[in-house]
Amino acid sequence: MFILEGKRVTKNFEGLTAVSEVDFEIREGEIFGLIGPNGSGKTTLLNLISGIFPLTDGEIHFLGQRLNDLKPHQITHLGIGRTFQIVRAFEGMTVKENALVGSLFGTKKEKHISKAMKEVEEVLDFVGLGAKRDYKISEITIADRKRLELARALVMNPKLLLLDEVMAALNPREIEDLMEMILTVNSKGITILVIEHVMKAVMGISQRIMVLHYGKRIALGSPKEISENEEVIKCYLGERFVRKERTFLERG
Amino acid sequence: MVSWGGKRWWWIGGGICLFLLLLPIILRGYWIRLLTNMFMFAVLAESVNIIAGYCGYLALGNMFFFGLGAYTVAVLMTKFAFSFFPALLIAGLGASLFSVIVGLPVLRLKGQYFLMGTVGLLELLREITTNLSLTGGGQGITLPIFPGGAAAANYFFYYFMFGLMVISVACTFYISNSYLGYAFRAIKFDEDAASVMGINPAPYKTAAWAISAFFTSLAGAGYAYWMSYIDPGEVYQIMPSVKMYLMMVLGGAGTVLGPIAGAFFIEFISELVWSKFLELHLLILGLVLVFVVIFTPRGFIDLFQRGLTPSKLLSGIKASRI
Repeated sequence: MFILEGKRVTKNFEGLTAVSEVDFEIREGEIFGLIGPNGSGKTTLLNLISGIFPLTDGEIHFLGQRLNDLKPHQITHLGIGRTFQIVRAFEGMTVKENALVGSLFGTKKEKHISKAMKEVEEVLDFVGLGAKRDYKISEITIADRKRLELARALVMNPKLLLLDEVMAALNPREIEDLMEMILTVNSKGITILVIEHVMKAVMGISQRIMVLHYGKRIALGSPKEISENEEVIKCYLGERFVRKERTFLERG
Repeated sequence: MVSWGGKRWWWIGGGICLFLLLLPIILRGYWIRLLTNMFMFAVLAESVNIIAGYCGYLALGNMFFFGLGAYTVAVLMTKFAFSFFPALLIAGLGASLFSVIVGLPVLRLKGQYFLMGTVGLLELLREITTNLSLTGGGQGITLPIFPGGAAAANYFFYYFMFGLMVISVACTFYISNSYLGYAFRAIKFDEDAASVMGINPAPYKTAAWAISAFFTSLAGAGYAYWMSYIDPGEVYQIMPSVKMYLMMVLGGAGTVLGPIAGAFFIEFISELVWSKFLELHLLILGLVLVFVVIFTPRGFIDLFQRGLTPSKLLSGIKASRI
Protein backbone atom coordinates (compact mmCIF):
# COMPACT_ATOMS: atom_id res chain seq x y z
CA MET A 1 0.00 0.00 0.00
CA PHE A 2 1.46 3.33 -1.05
CA ILE A 3 0.76 6.34 1.14
CA LEU A 4 2.29 8.87 -1.25
CA GLU A 5 2.77 8.51 -4.99
CA GLY A 6 4.40 10.94 -7.38
CA LYS A 7 4.14 10.57 -11.13
CA ARG A 8 6.41 12.56 -13.44
CA VAL A 9 6.56 15.31 -10.83
CA THR A 10 8.00 18.42 -12.48
CA LYS A 11 8.62 21.99 -11.34
CA ASN A 12 9.99 24.80 -13.47
CA PHE A 13 11.01 28.15 -12.07
CA GLU A 14 10.99 30.33 -15.19
CA GLY A 15 13.73 28.69 -17.25
CA LEU A 16 15.14 26.50 -14.49
CA THR A 17 13.85 22.99 -14.03
CA ALA A 18 14.21 22.31 -10.30
CA VAL A 19 12.46 18.93 -10.29
CA SER A 20 12.22 16.96 -13.50
CA GLU A 21 9.84 14.04 -14.10
CA VAL A 22 10.47 12.36 -10.77
CA ASP A 23 8.53 9.15 -10.05
CA PHE A 24 8.35 7.82 -6.52
CA GLU A 25 6.16 5.79 -4.18
CA ILE A 26 6.37 5.86 -0.43
CA ARG A 27 5.05 2.77 1.36
CA GLU A 28 2.86 3.11 4.39
CA GLY A 29 4.87 2.83 7.58
CA GLU A 30 8.34 3.17 6.12
CA ILE A 31 11.08 5.70 6.58
CA PHE A 32 11.95 7.02 3.16
CA GLY A 33 15.21 8.92 2.72
CA LEU A 34 15.70 11.67 0.15
CA ILE A 35 19.30 12.67 -0.56
CA GLY A 36 21.25 14.54 -3.16
CA PRO A 37 23.75 17.38 -3.57
CA ASN A 38 22.82 20.98 -2.73
CA GLY A 39 20.39 22.38 -5.26
CA SER A 40 19.29 18.97 -6.48
CA GLY A 41 15.62 19.73 -5.79
CA LYS A 42 14.98 17.95 -2.50
CA THR A 43 13.35 20.85 -0.68
CA THR A 44 11.49 21.86 -3.83
CA LEU A 45 10.01 18.36 -3.98
CA LEU A 46 8.92 18.73 -0.35
CA ASN A 47 7.36 22.11 -1.12
CA LEU A 48 5.46 20.50 -3.99
CA ILE A 49 4.13 17.77 -1.72
CA SER A 50 3.06 20.20 1.01
CA GLY A 51 1.48 22.52 -1.55
CA ILE A 52 3.63 25.61 -1.09
CA PHE A 53 4.48 25.54 -4.83
CA PRO A 54 2.05 24.39 -7.52
CA LEU A 55 3.31 21.61 -9.80
CA THR A 56 4.30 22.49 -13.35
CA ASP A 57 3.55 18.96 -14.52
CA GLY A 58 2.86 15.51 -13.15
CA GLU A 59 0.73 14.33 -10.26
CA ILE A 60 1.04 13.67 -6.55
CA HIS A 61 -1.42 11.38 -4.77
CA PHE A 62 -1.78 10.95 -1.02
CA LEU A 63 -3.79 7.89 0.02
CA GLY A 64 -5.41 7.93 -3.39
CA GLN A 65 -6.30 11.64 -3.29
CA ARG A 66 -4.83 14.03 -5.83
CA LEU A 67 -2.91 16.84 -4.14
CA ASN A 68 -2.20 19.01 -7.18
CA ASP A 69 -4.84 21.69 -6.71
CA LEU A 70 -5.01 21.70 -2.92
CA LYS A 71 -3.78 24.55 -0.75
CA PRO A 72 -1.15 23.92 1.96
CA HIS A 73 -3.68 23.96 4.81
CA GLN A 74 -5.91 21.44 3.02
CA ILE A 75 -2.96 19.10 2.53
CA THR A 76 -2.13 19.48 6.22
CA HIS A 77 -5.69 18.54 7.13
CA LEU A 78 -5.40 15.37 5.03
CA GLY A 79 -2.57 14.31 7.32
CA ILE A 80 0.76 15.54 5.98
CA GLY A 81 2.90 17.39 8.50
CA ARG A 82 6.27 18.94 7.74
CA THR A 83 9.23 20.75 9.20
CA PHE A 84 11.21 23.49 7.52
CA GLN A 85 14.91 23.31 6.77
CA ILE A 86 15.36 26.91 7.83
CA VAL A 87 13.37 26.73 11.04
CA ARG A 88 10.30 28.91 10.82
CA ALA A 89 9.06 29.08 14.37
CA PHE A 90 6.75 31.98 15.14
CA GLU A 91 9.11 34.48 16.79
CA GLY A 92 7.41 36.32 19.61
CA MET A 93 5.43 33.27 20.71
CA THR A 94 6.67 30.88 23.36
CA VAL A 95 7.73 27.30 22.64
CA LYS A 96 4.42 26.06 24.00
CA GLU A 97 2.34 28.47 21.93
CA ASN A 98 4.23 27.54 18.77
CA ALA A 99 3.34 23.90 19.23
CA LEU A 100 -0.21 24.84 20.24
CA VAL A 101 -0.84 26.34 16.79
CA GLY A 102 -0.21 22.91 15.27
CA SER A 103 -2.62 21.29 17.68
CA LEU A 104 -5.35 23.92 17.14
CA PHE A 105 -5.24 23.85 13.35
CA GLY A 106 -3.76 20.47 12.38
CA THR A 107 -5.77 17.36 11.52
CA LYS A 108 -7.65 17.34 14.83
CA LYS A 109 -8.70 20.98 14.88
CA GLU A 110 -9.11 20.94 18.62
CA LYS A 111 -10.54 24.38 19.37
CA HIS A 112 -10.36 24.22 23.17
CA ILE A 113 -7.08 25.73 24.21
CA SER A 114 -6.84 23.86 27.51
CA LYS A 115 -7.49 20.46 25.90
CA ALA A 116 -5.07 21.17 23.09
CA MET A 117 -2.49 22.32 25.61
CA LYS A 118 -2.48 18.95 27.35
CA GLU A 119 -1.46 17.17 24.19
CA VAL A 120 1.07 19.85 23.37
CA GLU A 121 2.78 19.31 26.70
CA GLU A 122 3.03 15.56 26.09
CA VAL A 123 4.67 16.14 22.72
CA LEU A 124 7.03 18.74 24.13
CA ASP A 125 8.09 16.27 26.81
CA PHE A 126 8.65 13.67 24.11
CA VAL A 127 11.00 15.87 22.07
CA GLY A 128 12.77 17.03 25.23
CA LEU A 129 11.45 20.58 25.38
CA GLY A 130 9.22 20.07 28.42
CA ALA A 131 11.38 22.20 30.67
CA LYS A 132 11.61 25.00 28.11
CA ARG A 133 7.93 25.25 27.23
CA ASP A 134 7.63 28.86 28.39
CA TYR A 135 10.81 30.09 26.73
CA LYS A 136 10.63 32.56 23.89
CA ILE A 137 11.96 31.37 20.54
CA SER A 138 14.85 33.82 20.73
CA GLU A 139 15.97 32.18 23.99
CA ILE A 140 16.42 28.60 22.74
CA THR A 141 19.33 27.01 20.86
CA ILE A 142 19.29 25.87 17.26
CA ALA A 143 19.04 22.24 18.40
CA ASP A 144 15.96 23.11 20.43
CA ARG A 145 14.47 24.96 17.48
CA LYS A 146 14.87 21.80 15.41
CA ARG A 147 13.16 19.84 18.16
CA LEU A 148 10.38 22.41 18.19
CA GLU A 149 9.94 22.03 14.42
CA LEU A 150 9.49 18.32 15.02
CA ALA A 151 7.08 18.95 17.89
CA ARG A 152 5.00 21.36 15.81
CA ALA A 153 4.69 18.74 13.09
CA LEU A 154 3.87 15.96 15.56
CA VAL A 155 1.04 17.76 17.35
CA MET A 156 -0.72 18.07 14.03
CA ASN A 157 -1.16 14.31 14.26
CA PRO A 158 0.05 13.52 10.75
CA LYS A 159 -0.05 10.22 8.88
CA LEU A 160 2.95 11.26 6.85
CA LEU A 161 5.73 13.38 8.28
CA LEU A 162 8.10 15.32 6.03
CA LEU A 163 11.38 16.16 7.75
CA ASP A 164 13.61 18.67 5.99
CA GLU A 165 17.16 18.47 7.36
CA VAL A 166 16.20 18.36 10.99
CA MET A 167 19.72 17.19 11.83
CA ALA A 168 21.71 19.92 10.12
CA ALA A 169 23.82 21.99 12.52
CA LEU A 170 23.43 19.49 15.36
CA ASN A 171 26.29 17.75 17.19
CA PRO A 172 26.71 13.93 17.10
CA ARG A 173 25.02 13.46 20.45
CA GLU A 174 22.01 15.52 19.42
CA ILE A 175 21.85 13.66 16.10
CA GLU A 176 21.64 10.35 17.91
CA ASP A 177 18.86 11.64 20.16
CA LEU A 178 16.94 12.80 17.14
CA MET A 179 17.43 9.50 15.26
CA GLU A 180 16.04 7.74 18.27
CA MET A 181 13.03 10.07 18.31
CA ILE A 182 12.36 9.59 14.60
CA LEU A 183 12.42 5.80 15.04
CA THR A 184 10.00 6.06 17.96
CA VAL A 185 7.62 8.23 15.93
CA ASN A 186 7.84 5.74 13.07
CA SER A 187 7.12 2.83 15.38
CA LYS A 188 3.79 4.49 16.21
CA GLY A 189 2.79 3.99 12.59
CA ILE A 190 3.69 7.38 11.13
CA THR A 191 5.30 7.22 7.70
CA ILE A 192 8.32 9.48 7.41
CA LEU A 193 10.01 11.16 4.47
CA VAL A 194 13.37 12.47 5.56
CA ILE A 195 15.75 14.80 3.73
CA GLU A 196 19.19 14.62 5.25
CA HIS A 197 22.83 15.30 4.56
CA VAL A 198 24.03 13.39 7.60
CA MET A 199 24.72 10.08 5.83
CA LYS A 200 25.18 8.04 8.97
CA ALA A 201 21.69 9.02 10.07
CA VAL A 202 19.83 8.67 6.81
CA MET A 203 21.52 5.35 5.97
CA GLY A 204 20.87 4.13 9.47
CA ILE A 205 17.14 4.78 9.71
CA SER A 206 15.77 4.66 6.16
CA GLN A 207 14.32 1.53 4.62
CA ARG A 208 14.60 3.00 1.13
CA ILE A 209 16.39 6.02 -0.26
CA MET A 210 15.87 8.14 -3.35
CA VAL A 211 18.71 10.20 -4.80
CA LEU A 212 18.10 13.39 -6.74
CA HIS A 213 20.68 15.11 -8.94
CA TYR A 214 19.88 18.29 -10.90
CA GLY A 215 16.22 17.62 -10.28
CA LYS A 216 16.31 14.11 -11.72
CA ARG A 217 15.96 10.84 -9.90
CA ILE A 218 19.19 8.93 -10.37
CA ALA A 219 18.64 6.08 -7.94
CA LEU A 220 16.05 4.52 -5.64
CA GLY A 221 16.72 1.55 -3.42
CA SER A 222 17.83 0.20 -0.08
CA PRO A 223 20.65 1.99 1.76
CA LYS A 224 23.03 -0.75 0.69
CA GLU A 225 22.09 -0.46 -2.97
CA ILE A 226 22.44 3.30 -2.81
CA SER A 227 25.88 3.20 -1.22
CA GLU A 228 27.05 0.84 -3.98
CA ASN A 229 25.51 2.75 -6.88
CA GLU A 230 28.33 4.10 -9.06
CA GLU A 231 26.44 7.18 -10.21
CA VAL A 232 25.47 8.16 -6.69
CA ILE A 233 29.05 7.75 -5.53
CA LYS A 234 30.30 9.90 -8.38
CA CYS A 235 27.94 12.82 -7.95
CA TYR A 236 27.19 12.82 -4.23
CA LEU A 237 28.63 10.36 -1.75
CA GLY A 238 32.28 10.47 -2.85
CA GLU A 239 34.80 7.64 -2.68
CA ARG A 240 35.94 8.34 0.86
CA PHE A 241 32.51 7.87 2.39
CA VAL A 242 31.94 4.63 0.50
CA ARG A 243 35.26 3.13 1.58
CA LYS A 244 34.46 3.93 5.20
CA GLU A 245 30.94 2.62 4.83
CA ARG A 246 32.15 -0.63 3.20
CA THR A 247 34.61 -1.39 5.94
CA PHE A 248 31.83 -0.60 8.40
CA LEU A 249 29.43 -3.00 6.66
CA GLU A 250 32.06 -5.73 6.32
CA ARG A 251 32.83 -5.59 10.01
CA GLY A 252 29.10 -5.74 10.64
CA MET B 1 1.87 35.51 25.36
CA VAL B 2 -1.37 36.91 26.61
CA SER B 3 -0.61 40.24 28.10
CA TRP B 4 -2.65 40.55 31.27
CA GLY B 5 -0.11 39.72 33.94
CA GLY B 6 -2.36 38.02 36.48
CA LYS B 7 -5.10 38.99 38.90
CA ARG B 8 -3.51 42.22 40.03
CA TRP B 9 -4.21 43.75 36.61
CA TRP B 10 -7.87 42.83 36.78
CA TRP B 11 -8.18 44.84 39.97
CA ILE B 12 -6.25 47.75 38.53
CA GLY B 13 -8.30 47.63 35.32
CA GLY B 14 -11.57 47.41 37.23
CA GLY B 15 -10.53 50.30 39.45
CA ILE B 16 -9.67 52.49 36.50
CA CYS B 17 -13.00 51.64 34.83
CA LEU B 18 -14.95 52.54 37.96
CA PHE B 19 -12.97 55.75 38.31
CA LEU B 20 -13.70 56.72 34.71
CA LEU B 21 -17.39 55.85 35.16
CA LEU B 22 -17.69 58.17 38.14
CA LEU B 23 -15.43 60.91 36.82
CA PRO B 24 -18.19 62.95 35.13
CA ILE B 25 -19.54 63.72 38.63
CA ILE B 26 -16.70 66.15 39.21
CA LEU B 27 -15.69 67.03 35.67
CA ARG B 28 -17.50 68.99 33.04
CA GLY B 29 -17.18 70.73 29.71
CA TYR B 30 -13.66 70.76 28.40
CA TRP B 31 -12.34 67.84 30.43
CA ILE B 32 -15.27 65.62 29.53
CA ARG B 33 -14.72 66.34 25.87
CA LEU B 34 -10.99 65.73 26.21
CA LEU B 35 -11.58 62.32 27.78
CA THR B 36 -14.22 61.46 25.17
CA ASN B 37 -11.62 62.18 22.50
CA MET B 38 -9.11 59.97 24.33
CA PHE B 39 -11.59 57.10 24.46
CA MET B 40 -12.29 57.49 20.77
CA PHE B 41 -8.62 57.28 19.88
CA ALA B 42 -8.26 54.32 22.22
CA VAL B 43 -10.98 52.53 20.22
CA LEU B 44 -9.26 53.43 16.96
CA ALA B 45 -5.84 52.28 18.20
CA GLU B 46 -7.32 49.04 19.53
CA SER B 47 -9.08 48.29 16.25
CA VAL B 48 -5.96 48.91 14.20
CA ASN B 49 -4.20 46.66 16.71
CA ILE B 50 -6.44 43.74 15.71
CA ILE B 51 -5.53 43.84 12.02
CA ALA B 52 -1.99 45.25 12.31
CA GLY B 53 -0.78 44.34 15.81
CA TYR B 54 -2.16 40.80 15.89
CA CYS B 55 -2.49 39.85 12.24
CA GLY B 56 0.48 41.81 10.90
CA TYR B 57 -1.41 43.53 8.09
CA LEU B 58 -0.50 47.20 8.29
CA ALA B 59 -3.78 48.84 7.32
CA LEU B 60 -2.53 52.42 7.32
CA GLY B 61 -5.66 53.61 5.57
CA ASN B 62 -7.91 52.11 8.25
CA MET B 63 -9.40 55.57 8.79
CA PHE B 64 -11.62 55.07 5.76
CA PHE B 65 -13.82 52.89 7.94
CA PHE B 66 -14.07 55.84 10.29
CA GLY B 67 -15.27 58.04 7.45
CA LEU B 68 -17.56 55.30 6.22
CA GLY B 69 -19.19 54.97 9.64
CA ALA B 70 -19.49 58.73 10.04
CA TYR B 71 -21.13 59.17 6.67
CA THR B 72 -23.42 56.16 7.02
CA VAL B 73 -24.87 57.60 10.21
CA ALA B 74 -24.99 61.13 8.81
CA VAL B 75 -26.83 60.12 5.63
CA LEU B 76 -29.22 57.73 7.38
CA MET B 77 -30.14 60.29 10.03
CA THR B 78 -30.55 63.28 7.73
CA LYS B 79 -31.88 61.76 4.51
CA PHE B 80 -33.77 58.72 5.82
CA ALA B 81 -34.85 59.93 9.26
CA PHE B 82 -33.20 57.08 11.16
CA SER B 83 -32.61 57.49 14.85
CA PHE B 84 -29.04 57.17 16.10
CA PHE B 85 -28.78 53.59 17.35
CA PRO B 86 -30.28 51.78 14.34
CA ALA B 87 -28.07 53.93 12.10
CA LEU B 88 -25.10 53.03 14.30
CA LEU B 89 -25.74 49.33 13.92
CA ILE B 90 -26.01 49.64 10.15
CA ALA B 91 -22.80 51.68 10.07
CA GLY B 92 -20.87 49.02 12.00
CA LEU B 93 -22.16 46.04 10.06
CA GLY B 94 -21.93 47.91 6.78
CA ALA B 95 -18.26 48.69 7.36
CA SER B 96 -17.57 45.04 8.20
CA LEU B 97 -19.31 43.94 5.02
CA PHE B 98 -17.37 46.53 3.05
CA SER B 99 -14.09 45.26 4.54
CA VAL B 100 -14.95 41.72 3.43
CA ILE B 101 -15.69 42.88 -0.12
CA VAL B 102 -12.62 45.07 -0.56
CA GLY B 103 -10.60 42.51 1.41
CA LEU B 104 -11.07 39.91 -1.31
CA PRO B 105 -8.60 41.69 -3.58
CA VAL B 106 -6.73 43.91 -1.09
CA LEU B 107 -5.91 41.26 1.53
CA ARG B 108 -4.05 39.33 -1.16
CA LEU B 109 -1.44 42.07 -1.05
CA LYS B 110 1.30 41.83 1.55
CA GLY B 111 3.55 44.23 3.46
CA GLN B 112 3.88 47.71 2.03
CA TYR B 113 1.64 46.84 -0.93
CA PHE B 114 -1.26 46.15 1.39
CA LEU B 115 -0.46 49.36 3.26
CA MET B 116 -0.56 51.39 0.03
CA GLY B 117 -3.73 49.61 -1.04
CA THR B 118 -5.55 50.75 2.08
CA VAL B 119 -4.27 54.31 1.65
CA GLY B 120 -5.59 54.14 -1.90
CA LEU B 121 -9.01 53.11 -0.59
CA LEU B 122 -8.97 56.06 1.79
CA GLU B 123 -8.30 58.48 -1.06
CA LEU B 124 -10.87 56.77 -3.23
CA LEU B 125 -13.64 57.00 -0.64
CA ARG B 126 -12.87 60.64 0.06
CA GLU B 127 -13.13 61.50 -3.64
CA ILE B 128 -16.37 59.55 -4.03
CA THR B 129 -17.87 61.23 -0.97
CA THR B 130 -16.78 64.66 -2.17
CA ASN B 131 -18.51 64.13 -5.51
CA LEU B 132 -21.81 62.62 -4.38
CA SER B 133 -24.83 64.83 -3.83
CA LEU B 134 -26.28 62.27 -1.37
CA THR B 135 -23.39 62.94 1.05
CA GLY B 136 -23.54 66.69 0.64
CA GLY B 137 -20.37 66.77 -1.49
CA GLY B 138 -17.39 68.83 -0.41
CA GLN B 139 -19.60 71.10 1.69
CA GLY B 140 -20.15 68.36 4.21
CA ILE B 141 -23.28 67.34 6.00
CA THR B 142 -24.99 68.62 9.14
CA LEU B 143 -26.53 66.06 11.50
CA PRO B 144 -29.48 66.55 13.83
CA ILE B 145 -28.36 68.10 17.12
CA PHE B 146 -28.36 65.79 20.13
CA PRO B 147 -31.64 66.42 21.98
CA GLY B 148 -31.39 67.61 25.56
CA GLY B 149 -28.76 70.30 25.41
CA ALA B 150 -24.97 70.55 25.42
CA ALA B 151 -24.36 69.17 28.91
CA ALA B 152 -26.42 66.04 28.30
CA ALA B 153 -24.64 65.57 24.96
CA ASN B 154 -21.27 65.73 26.73
CA TYR B 155 -22.27 62.96 29.12
CA PHE B 156 -23.89 60.86 26.41
CA PHE B 157 -20.83 60.84 24.16
CA TYR B 158 -18.51 60.38 27.12
CA TYR B 159 -20.28 57.15 28.08
CA PHE B 160 -20.77 56.13 24.46
CA MET B 161 -17.05 56.28 23.67
CA PHE B 162 -16.16 54.81 27.04
CA GLY B 163 -18.50 51.87 26.48
CA LEU B 164 -17.15 51.35 22.98
CA MET B 165 -13.61 51.32 24.35
CA VAL B 166 -14.47 48.75 27.02
CA ILE B 167 -16.20 46.53 24.45
CA SER B 168 -13.26 46.77 22.04
CA VAL B 169 -10.84 45.84 24.84
CA ALA B 170 -13.04 42.92 25.91
CA CYS B 171 -13.24 41.74 22.30
CA THR B 172 -9.47 41.96 21.87
CA PHE B 173 -8.98 40.13 25.15
CA TYR B 174 -11.27 37.36 24.00
CA ILE B 175 -9.51 37.11 20.64
CA SER B 176 -6.04 37.02 22.14
CA ASN B 177 -7.02 34.08 24.33
CA SER B 178 -8.92 32.10 21.71
CA TYR B 179 -7.76 30.10 18.73
CA LEU B 180 -8.47 33.19 16.60
CA GLY B 181 -5.64 35.03 18.31
CA TYR B 182 -3.24 32.17 17.68
CA ALA B 183 -4.23 32.08 14.01
CA PHE B 184 -3.80 35.87 13.69
CA ARG B 185 -0.38 35.83 15.30
CA ALA B 186 0.79 32.80 13.32
CA ILE B 187 -0.19 34.63 10.12
CA LYS B 188 1.66 37.72 11.30
CA PHE B 189 4.90 35.89 12.01
CA ASP B 190 5.00 33.58 8.97
CA GLU B 191 2.05 33.14 6.66
CA ASP B 192 3.54 30.18 4.74
CA ALA B 193 4.46 28.30 7.89
CA ALA B 194 0.98 29.06 9.26
CA SER B 195 -0.72 27.54 6.23
CA VAL B 196 1.46 24.43 6.45
CA MET B 197 0.28 24.12 10.05
CA GLY B 198 -3.30 23.95 8.83
CA ILE B 199 -4.38 27.59 8.94
CA ASN B 200 -6.23 28.87 5.90
CA PRO B 201 -5.04 32.49 6.02
CA ALA B 202 -7.79 34.12 3.93
CA PRO B 203 -10.81 33.79 6.28
CA TYR B 204 -8.75 34.71 9.35
CA LYS B 205 -7.30 37.82 7.73
CA THR B 206 -10.78 38.79 6.58
CA ALA B 207 -12.20 38.25 10.07
CA ALA B 208 -9.47 40.38 11.64
CA TRP B 209 -10.15 43.20 9.23
CA ALA B 210 -13.92 42.96 9.62
CA ILE B 211 -13.65 43.23 13.42
CA SER B 212 -11.26 46.15 13.05
CA ALA B 213 -13.62 47.82 10.56
CA PHE B 214 -16.59 47.33 12.88
CA PHE B 215 -15.07 49.22 15.81
CA THR B 216 -13.45 51.90 13.66
CA SER B 217 -16.77 52.54 11.96
CA LEU B 218 -18.67 52.75 15.27
CA ALA B 219 -16.15 55.30 16.51
CA GLY B 220 -16.64 57.29 13.32
CA ALA B 221 -20.42 57.06 13.64
CA GLY B 222 -20.30 58.34 17.23
CA TYR B 223 -17.93 61.10 16.18
CA ALA B 224 -20.27 62.32 13.44
CA TYR B 225 -23.24 62.57 15.82
CA TRP B 226 -21.04 64.15 18.49
CA MET B 227 -19.63 66.87 16.18
CA SER B 228 -22.99 67.16 14.34
CA TYR B 229 -21.10 68.33 11.28
CA ILE B 230 -18.67 66.37 9.10
CA ASP B 231 -16.99 66.93 5.75
CA PRO B 232 -14.95 64.51 3.60
CA GLY B 233 -11.61 66.21 4.23
CA GLU B 234 -12.09 65.82 7.97
CA VAL B 235 -13.21 62.22 8.38
CA TYR B 236 -11.13 60.71 5.57
CA GLN B 237 -7.74 61.92 6.80
CA ILE B 238 -4.46 60.05 6.75
CA MET B 239 -3.00 61.81 9.82
CA PRO B 240 -5.29 60.20 12.43
CA SER B 241 -4.28 56.85 10.91
CA VAL B 242 -0.64 57.68 11.54
CA LYS B 243 -1.55 58.70 15.07
CA MET B 244 -3.36 55.40 15.65
CA TYR B 245 -0.22 53.53 14.60
CA LEU B 246 1.93 55.67 16.83
CA MET B 247 -0.35 54.89 19.77
CA MET B 248 -0.31 51.18 19.03
CA VAL B 249 3.46 50.98 18.65
CA LEU B 250 4.13 53.13 21.71
CA GLY B 251 1.85 51.12 23.94
CA GLY B 252 2.68 47.73 22.48
CA ALA B 253 1.42 46.23 19.24
CA GLY B 254 -0.23 42.85 19.62
CA THR B 255 -1.08 43.34 23.30
CA VAL B 256 -4.55 43.87 24.73
CA LEU B 257 -3.96 47.04 26.72
CA GLY B 258 -0.92 48.51 24.96
CA PRO B 259 -2.82 50.52 22.35
CA ILE B 260 -5.17 51.90 25.02
CA ALA B 261 -2.24 53.05 27.13
CA GLY B 262 -0.59 54.51 24.04
CA ALA B 263 -3.74 56.39 23.09
CA PHE B 264 -4.13 57.91 26.56
CA PHE B 265 -0.49 58.85 26.71
CA ILE B 266 -0.31 60.54 23.32
CA GLU B 267 -3.61 62.37 23.66
CA PHE B 268 -2.60 63.57 27.09
CA ILE B 269 0.83 64.80 25.96
CA SER B 270 -0.69 66.43 22.88
CA GLU B 271 -3.26 68.21 24.96
CA LEU B 272 -0.77 69.40 27.58
CA VAL B 273 1.70 70.74 25.07
CA TRP B 274 -0.71 71.68 22.31
CA SER B 275 -2.22 74.63 24.06
CA LYS B 276 1.16 76.25 24.67
CA PHE B 277 3.33 75.22 21.72
CA LEU B 278 1.58 74.57 18.45
CA GLU B 279 4.56 73.09 16.65
CA LEU B 280 6.64 71.86 19.55
CA HIS B 281 4.28 69.08 20.53
CA LEU B 282 5.21 67.16 17.38
CA LEU B 283 8.85 67.38 18.42
CA ILE B 284 8.04 66.02 21.85
CA LEU B 285 6.00 63.18 20.37
CA GLY B 286 8.92 62.41 18.07
CA LEU B 287 11.33 62.28 21.00
CA VAL B 288 9.00 60.01 22.96
CA LEU B 289 8.71 57.67 20.00
CA VAL B 290 12.50 57.50 19.58
CA PHE B 291 12.86 56.80 23.28
CA VAL B 292 10.29 54.01 23.22
CA VAL B 293 11.71 52.35 20.11
CA ILE B 294 15.20 52.33 21.60
CA PHE B 295 14.42 51.33 25.16
CA THR B 296 11.34 49.23 24.89
CA PRO B 297 10.70 48.17 21.30
CA ARG B 298 7.72 46.06 22.36
CA GLY B 299 5.94 49.13 23.67
CA PHE B 300 5.83 50.54 27.17
CA ILE B 301 3.16 48.12 28.38
CA ASP B 302 6.05 45.65 28.25
CA LEU B 303 7.91 47.67 30.90
CA PHE B 304 5.01 47.39 33.33
CA GLN B 305 4.76 43.68 32.80
CA ARG B 306 8.43 42.92 33.31
CA GLY B 307 9.04 45.49 36.00
CA LEU B 308 11.51 48.21 35.15
CA THR B 309 15.17 47.67 36.08
CA PRO B 310 18.32 49.10 34.46
CA SER B 311 19.43 45.68 33.23
CA LYS B 312 16.08 45.12 31.54
CA LEU B 313 16.35 48.53 29.90
CA LEU B 314 19.77 47.53 28.61
CA SER B 315 18.44 44.29 27.22
CA GLY B 316 15.76 46.36 25.52
CA ILE B 317 18.46 48.44 23.86
CA LYS B 318 20.21 45.27 22.70
CA ALA B 319 16.96 43.87 21.35
CA SER B 320 16.46 47.00 19.27
CA ARG B 321 19.84 46.21 17.61
CA ILE B 322 21.37 49.66 17.87
